[in-house]
Amino acid sequence: MDADKTLRTQDLPRTGGFPSVRYKRNLPKKGPSGLVLFTVLGAISVYGFYRVGQGNLEKRELRREHLWSRIHLIPLLTAELDRDTYRRNCAALTREAEIMKDVPGWKVGESVYNTKRYVGPTQIVVPEQS
Amino acid sequence: MAAAEHPVLSNVTFIDPTPPPDDVPKVDEIGATSAPLKSVAFFIGAYCKEYNEDFMLCKNENNDPAHCLKEGRKVTRCAIDLLRKVREHCDSEFEAHWQCLDRNNQEYRHCRGLERKFNSCVFNALNLEKVIPGSPSNKPPIHLKEKPLYKERPRW
Repeated sequence: MDADKTLRTQDLPRTGGFPSVRYKRNLPKKGPSGLVLFTVLGAISVYGFYRVGQGNLEKRELRREHLWSRIHLIPLLTAELDRDTYRRNCAALTREAEIMKDVPGWKVGESVYNTKRYVGPTQIVVPEQS
Repeated sequence: MAAAEHPVLSNVTFIDPTPPPDDVPKVDEIGATSAPLKSVAFFIGAYCKEYNEDFMLCKNENNDPAHCLKEGRKVTRCAIDLLRKVREHCDSEFEAHWQCLDRNNQEYRHCRGLERKFNSCVFNALNLEKVIPGSPSNKPPIHLKEKPLYKERPRW
């Protein structure tokens, strides 16, 4: 039992201590940091949206130009169409008068609407080409 | 019986060749297709402003085609007169510009170079300027923009 007494010592680290445990991965540092990436990408996006905005403004002006070119032509094209409509309407009335000449009390070209406002024809009768 | 079937399905041509009544004065139609008209549209707007406005006011008064025939004739005569003058003074520029429009989907932005030549020629000869109403006054108008984002891409 004496031998037990002499050997009863506290369990201590080895002399000089343990070497520190390497728990970090030993990887080379690559690329810029997240903050830099975020800033750069943000800047690119802001520039891109700026260009989109400028492009939208320019598109609006192109649209305006296009619309005004049409607006300037409307009187000319309407006048031409009106002449043709008037001509065809006169011809249609002549045909109607010819067809309905035997019907007493028939009013040629009488509007079916009770208004003085012009109402365009809903059906256009065009003769076949002979 | 051709009248019973839908006109789209018919092989017969439906056309009314009846001439207009004699009490309507004769007027030549403009006869130009869409590209030349788009090319001179702003000059028609500037040159025939009174006639156009008169006609549109008349149409606003009464939409009946028979109501504004007189004003309409003036509009057409004015446009024909302008086209004749443009042909006289700036024929080659006009031709180049409207043919470019015709080839490029009739979009002005593809033909800016030719348009500038045409516009300056018309300005020198007829003193007519292209003005787009309502465009922002602090910037140059779109047809004079130096570096447009939507770049000129003529087909050929």
